[in-house]
This record gives sequence, structure tokens and C-alpha cells, in this order.
Amino acid sequence: MIGRLLLYIDPGSGSYLIQMIIAAVLGAAFFFRNLWWKFRSLFSKKKAPPQKNDNKNA
Amino acid sequence: MPEPVRHPSSYRDPSGFIFQVEGIYYRQINQSYAADYSLLMGSGLYDTLVKKGLLIAHQELPGHPPISANADQRYKTLLPAQLSTISYPYEWGFEQLRDAALLTLEIMNEAILHGMILKDATPFNIQFEEGKPVFIDTLSFEKYDPSLPWIAYRQFCECFLFPLYLEHYCGMEQRKIQTAWPDGISASLTARLLPWKTRLSFGALLHVHLQNKVSGKDERKVVFSRQKLLNILQHLESIIRGLHTSAANLSTWNNYYQATILSQSYLHEKEKLFRDYLDGLVFHTALDLGANDGYFSQILSERKDAFILAVDADTICIDRLYRTVREKQIRNILPLCIGILHPSPAIGFRNRERASFHDRVQTELVVALAVLHHLVLNGNIPLHDIAGYMAELTARLLVIEFVPLVDLKAQELIRHRSSHHPYDTHSFEQHFQEYFSIEKKSVVPGTERVLYLMRKKIASP
Repeated sequence: MIGRLLLYIDPGSGSYLIQMIIAAVLGAAFFFRNLWWKFRSLFSKKKAPPQKNDNKNA
Repeated sequence: MPEPVRHPSSYRDPSGFIFQVEGIYYRQINQSYAADYSLLMGSGLYDTLVKKGLLIAHQELPGHPPISANADQRYKTLLPAQLSTISYPYEWGFEQLRDAALLTLEIMNEAILHGMILKDATPFNIQFEEGKPVFIDTLSFEKYDPSLPWIAYRQFCECFLFPLYLEHYCGMEQRKIQTAWPDGISASLTARLLPWKTRLSFGALLHVHLQNKVSGKDERKVVFSRQKLLNILQHLESIIRGLHTSAANLSTWNNYYQATILSQSYLHEKEKLFRDYLDGLVFHTALDLGANDGYFSQILSERKDAFILAVDADTICIDRLYRTVREKQIRNILPLCIGILHPSPAIGFRNRERASFHDRVQTELVVALAVLHHLVLNGNIPLHDIAGYMAELTARLLVIEFVPLVDLKAQELIRHRSSHHPYDTHSFEQHFQEYFSIEKKSVVPGTERVLYLMRKKIASP
């Protein structure tokens, strides 16, 4: 029971490293996706779909 | 004045708690949460979330509000909007948990824009009100430090993402996972349960398998940013939007009304009788037992001042009804996955934290259509016990359908049985008349089934 109560106080303990790794992977994935869309837009009239969170405040 | 009673589930967070006086729920905010509460109200986050219907509204009580036992820590007392009922994630269908997860992410995005963050991410912070999920924990918000990752990321995964993944890939009903692990299922167990092909899925690979590998590793050097967190939230949202239940193939009651031998004319005749029975009845709460896809719950919901609890053991039926409620914007039906044979027990600390289903149900009208034969012939419950149970559930009224043994559906249930409890019209009426008086009784035309309207007898002192 005490273990679960402590979990509540710090529900994220043990999850910081994985978030750093995921953020790095996603950063790279989003970077290449945007690059691909820019490359494609050179050859087509279709615009890349807007992404609400992409690199506004990187 | 009656003594304030602290809600038995409201003990974890030192920031404050819920207490009750004369049936009204209040929230005390402690001094330790004063700065975060001021930021929630002052940053405009509270107004934005309430305006969008994402967060429960409250009013601050000035002067001398009801005060709990821990008055020395009190900063403010709030009167939150009162909820119609309380339900728990182990009673929700897949889509209800998915919407609750998306609500949590939407609130996180909005909070970050206002310089705040959710310090926890549990589905117990969410209730369904007027047909959609709403966040009810006003004390979950704290000041955001962009240099740190999300403190509640792991809890979000364990309580929302992993159960959704398990239902999506393995057909394990999320509500059963929530029953077994009410504080969330771990990454290590989820990784073992998910099929191997999920290692080829970008989302599951990162959030389940990789998390399982790196959990517990050294985390002293943390470098993070707001954009990184927004990217993770966006990724979680896109994963969750793409998840669907695969339990559909396992459903017993899938398309019961549409695809079984029960014809449209039977449904039409039953509806006519049902509407006739309801006409003139006064009720503000109703419980539809074995609601299936909610055909009759929707008829009940035409009473705009009535709140309808529609329960069924089948998660697919409840998911379908929830979708209907959401699409048609029906505000007064709450669909829940609850089986009459195994209703939710009281769980948590001292068995008081989460009340049992029966302790939460207060209803004036119980509707039990085509349920009785299952309870007797399948569940082996004697008629007398069912009559007592119905009398416990309803405060006044009961609409119940008797499906006789000659009915094909009843025949199916006893085909392989050598014996069963007595089940005939005479025994049924005899046992139910111990608790109820029969007000109306009609055979559904074209069938042998009988629909009853009963009124509970007032217990003699």
C-alpha cells in the first residue's frame, strides 16, 4: 500500500529517460517528414497538411 | 448542522479533498495548493477548459462555508457542479476509455499553453456527464517547468494507453484489465502480452517495448523542452485515435435486435406496450438492465428530466450505445458495462474507496426486458431471489418482461440442461407479488412473452 501511495506522489518516476529518447526519435521523425513534404511540394500543387505542434517553439 | 464526511476516495492528494454535507459535495483546497490554484484561475486556464466543457465548473464559497475536520489547512472551499452519478474505468467500454484518454491529452495541451501541466493522469479523474467525459479533479494542475518531461507520462501509459493497446491487439477488454490492475498495468507485462508484430509498430515499439527496456535506468541528466513534450502528446494522440476494439468478434449480443430471429414486428409491438406503460409514470431516474444497444434506453431518454443508466455485460453493446449517445448528443443516458451476475464490487482502501455498483444506484424505475430468463436459466438464480433483488434496485417501479419456457430463446438456454429452477408464469407472479403489485400485464402480440408494469409494495413496519 505504501508503495502505491508513493507512486501517486511521483507517478512519473522512472519515465524521464524514456521520454527523452522518444522525444529525440520523434524530433528526427518529424524533421524528415517535414523535409519529405517540402520535397514533394516542389513537384506537386498539393500542400503539406498542417501539423499543430510542429517546431513552433523548438 | 450534520457533520461533514470526507469522501473515502479523496485521501491521496495533500492539496485538498472532497467532503459531503447533507448530500452536497464540496472541495476543500489546502494552503499548500494556494499558488497552483491561483495560477489555474488567474492564467485563464480554468475559464478556457470550463467553456470548452472539458473541466467541471465550480464556484468559490466565500464567508462561512461548510468546513471539514481539517479546517486549519483550509485555503478555500469550492462548490463543484454536482454529478449525476459516479462510474469507474472498469465499467467503461473501449471508446469511453479512449475518449477519456483524448480528453486528458487535450487538457494537457491547453494547460501547457497556460503555463501549467497535469501532475497525474488517471481515468479516475474523469466522469461521464451529459454524454461526454469531463475532468473532475480541479487539483490536478500544477505550474509547468519546461525543462522537465511529463511527471505523469508513465501513469498515462499504464492507465490509458496500455489497456487500449491490449484491447486493440489482443481483444482483452480494457475494463477487465482495469479491474485486475486499477492502478494501471505495467509496461513489462504489456510488452509480454502484446503480439510480436507490435515491435514493428512505431508507437508500440517506442511507448511499450522501449519503455519496458529502459525503465529504471539512470535519469540524472534530464534535458527537455516544451516542444519535445508537445511532440510526445501529439504522437500519443495520433496513436490513440487509430486504436479500435478487436473484441467485436467475441461478442454474444452483437446485433441482437438486428440479426436474431426476433422480428421487427416483435420490437414494434413491445415498443408500443412499453410506451403505453411509461405514459403517466413519473420518474427522474431509470436503470435499464441488460440494455443491449439501448433501444429502450433511448425511449426512456425522451423524458428530458430523467437520467437513464443503461447497463449491459457486453462491452460491444455498450460501445455501440455510447457511440449513439455521442453522435445523437443524448445528454441523459450513461452506458456502462456491468453484468448483473458480476456487478462491480467495493474496492480500494478499506473497501470504501470505490463504492460497489449497488451502493451507487438509486433509481425510481428499473427496466428489465428479456433478461429474466437469462438470470434463471443461465445464471441459475431462483425467481424468488431475483424478485428480492429487483425490489432492492428500484425505489418504486419495475417494467419486466417474462420470456416463457416455450419461447425459442428460452429453449436455446435449456437445450443442454437436465434441470433448472422453477420457471413459469405462476411462480414468477407469485414470487414477484411478495415485493410488488402488478399494475399492468400484456402479452406482446405475436409472441408468448409478457410485459409487466409493477409497483413496489411499501414495506410494513
